[in-house]
Amino acid sequence: MLNIDVAKVAELINRHVSGANATAFLPEDTKKLDGSVTVEAAKIFSVVEFLKTNSELPFNSLHVISGVDYLEHMEVCYMLTHYDPASPRDLILKVRLTDRVAPAVDSIVRLYPAANFQEREVYDMFGIRFNNHPDLRRILCPDDWQGWPLRKDYVAQKDYNGMSVYPDGKMNFDDREFIVRQDMIKKAQQAKAQ
Amino acid sequence: MSTTVQETNSFKEYFSGLFNGISTTVKGMWITFRYVWAVKPVSIEYPEVREVLPERARMRLFNDVQNCISCTQCAMACPVDCIYIASEKLPEGTEIKKTSNGQAIRLKLTQFTIDTALCCYCGLCTTVCPTECLTHSLDYEFSQYTIDGMKYDYLAPDVIAWRDRIVKS
Amino acid sequence: MQTRWDVGEPEKPTINIETEQLKSDLLTLNMGPQHPATHGVLRIEIWTDSEVVAHAIPHLGYLHRCMEKHSENLDFRGVIPFVDRLDYLASMNMEWTYVAAVEKMLGTEVPRRGELLRILTAELQRIGSHLMAFGTYALDLGAFTPFLYAFEEREKILRLFEEVSGARLLYNYIWVGGVWNDWTSEQLDRVATFCDTMEEEAKKYHELVSMNKIFVQRTANVGVYSLQDCFDYGASGPVLRGSGLSWDLRKNVPYSLYPEFDFNVPVGTGEVGQVGDCWNRYYVRMREVVESIKIIRQVLAKLEPGPVMGKVPKIIKLPKGEIYLRHECPRGELAFHLVSEGDAKQPYRLKVKSPCFTHVSMLPRVAPGQMIADFVATVGSIDIVLGEVDR
Repeated sequence: MLNIDVAKVAELINRHVSGANATAFLPEDTKKLDGSVTVEAAKIFSVVEFLKTNSELPFNSLHVISGVDYLEHMEVCYMLTHYDPASPRDLILKVRLTDRVAPAVDSIVRLYPAANFQEREVYDMFGIRFNNHPDLRRILCPDDWQGWPLRKDYVAQKDYNGMSVYPDGKMNFDDREFIVRQDMIKKAQQAKAQ
Repeated sequence: MSTTVQETNSFKEYFSGLFNGISTTVKGMWITFRYVWAVKPVSIEYPEVREVLPERARMRLFNDVQNCISCTQCAMACPVDCIYIASEKLPEGTEIKKTSNGQAIRLKLTQFTIDTALCCYCGLCTTVCPTECLTHSLDYEFSQYTIDGMKYDYLAPDVIAWRDRIVKS
Repeated sequence: MQTRWDVGEPEKPTINIETEQLKSDLLTLNMGPQHPATHGVLRIEIWTDSEVVAHAIPHLGYLHRCMEKHSENLDFRGVIPFVDRLDYLASMNMEWTYVAAVEKMLGTEVPRRGELLRILTAELQRIGSHLMAFGTYALDLGAFTPFLYAFEEREKILRLFEEVSGARLLYNYIWVGGVWNDWTSEQLDRVATFCDTMEEEAKKYHELVSMNKIFVQRTANVGVYSLQDCFDYGASGPVLRGSGLSWDLRKNVPYSLYPEFDFNVPVGTGEVGQVGDCWNRYYVRMREVVESIKIIRQVLAKLEPGPVMGKVPKIIKLPKGEIYLRHECPRGELAFHLVSEGDAKQPYRLKVKSPCFTHVSMLPRVAPGQMIADFVATVGSIDIVLGEVDR
């Protein structure tokens, strides 16, 4: 992340977007880690619209939308960037979603068309719905796949269209002896890890 | 955003375009034509002629079981979990052998199997090996009829015989 | 504010009157997943009206290998072989980006020789990747021989990499803390000779393809992305530069030792066709090859004997926090969003920002109104690798 003062950005957002409740997070060791700005999920559209159109600290492009699952809450991270050789800058903008059953956030496709595929990917992997998205389908997984793969509590389905998802053992075991030995290895590895 | 193909109406543009097309094509054809006699072929006819592999080439894995101390570091480092090791304690009073670089073998290796069908040839296992017994050999021709055949048990006598063929010194 | 978004109602293509009378319905045509012009397993659903594309919908995921999920269960070193497999034509750059993210969080110092060797391999890889782009692009447009010329040169790079790292495609060469093996002086000499021959070859390619009338007719003024399109879609790399913005992370936001090097950033100038079209994107790549040669020569002059690996703990544990790190790769800006929980041996989350994914999402923008053959030229010109799109 480059050339960005997250405290200043948070203050700017709070001044111009009412109810955004932006809080800046700055790590202790700024050389190693990146700071971020967290805003209210309900206000994300107006915040991004403000960040795109303001004259003080504009961001003319959206790089990527990434989701992170922290089990007690989920985060959607918007990496905004400014393509300008004179003053390049990056920003990690976050929203926090506590609802795990039906998480939803407003889509920003109308501001950055780049968000189209990115939001579809976040939906595919985390099950976060984006309101007003024109075409919210799964993108990498098949359309009839069940579950949200990148959530931490995800358990893969056993069976997909008559195909076994995790065949018993990735290898073709032909002898039981081998499996017994493999269990021994696992135990040895666990003992080693402890 | 439709493609706009400009109509070359004027007399001059028509002929300059024609000349440009012919001259650039002839130039390209000349470069290609030179390859008929001026450039030697670079391709190798594989089964008859074989390229000499560089020393560091990472081909099929080979474990020299006489030097293995069953430390399972390779199995831990493997990102695809294709190495299966099992070992048991040596019975009391057995003479403790040493590896070629002087480490004591305190465990009896009962299994060392690598599934080369899973292996991704990344080389991480060879770098953690403390006795350098697990190495990449230069053997790249080991296709099999079944996927089970890709499992190599390095304690099996046929693989130990294979060592003499592949591993020099 | 004007809103522009492309999925939903397709734009009505401009067609002449005769076809308007004959028009009955749009025909759905599947390009891919097994189509030579899509460079992998990309399926593009095209709605065509006669030969004019009305709308194109990319369908991704045929090469989805769950890399992001898988990396959450691997230690930080074990991720490197999987990062290789993202963009298998530019593995060195992929590795370097990932490793740089880990190193920044870890605070590792890389020795100078190691860093220079990284630049050397990354630039060689960039040449190799652009050669592949050049060859396959000509192949898409119906010229077979440039592909063979490009492969002849690429083979030399692969051979060098094979000698130094042990593998031809998926190297696992750049490690946390430095590089795996040192280059011998004999190999460096061969790099120098390669630079000389490659410079000659690049001239030959320009004679053979770049200025060829047929090639120019197929690519000039085709698939034009304006600069605003590139910003809207977050494009980067040769696509952005082909559209006329002089933006290169190596120059504008220098990382590693790039500030020490003298090189130019090629930009689409529109000497043939117009800025932002297929020809300019192609030409930017070909000029980047020459710039990379320049950098390699400077690296060779700067190299001094020394260690190539820094001090790294045996088990890598990163502090709690996150990082978003971008590097300039042959196909655009690759970035990793690496989240780590304190004292964990595995990444908590590893999100790949892949340039090709972004560029594929740009295809529906430019498709309406194009001929099918021109659409093939457009897909080829953005130079996608599906391993990186689907991850």
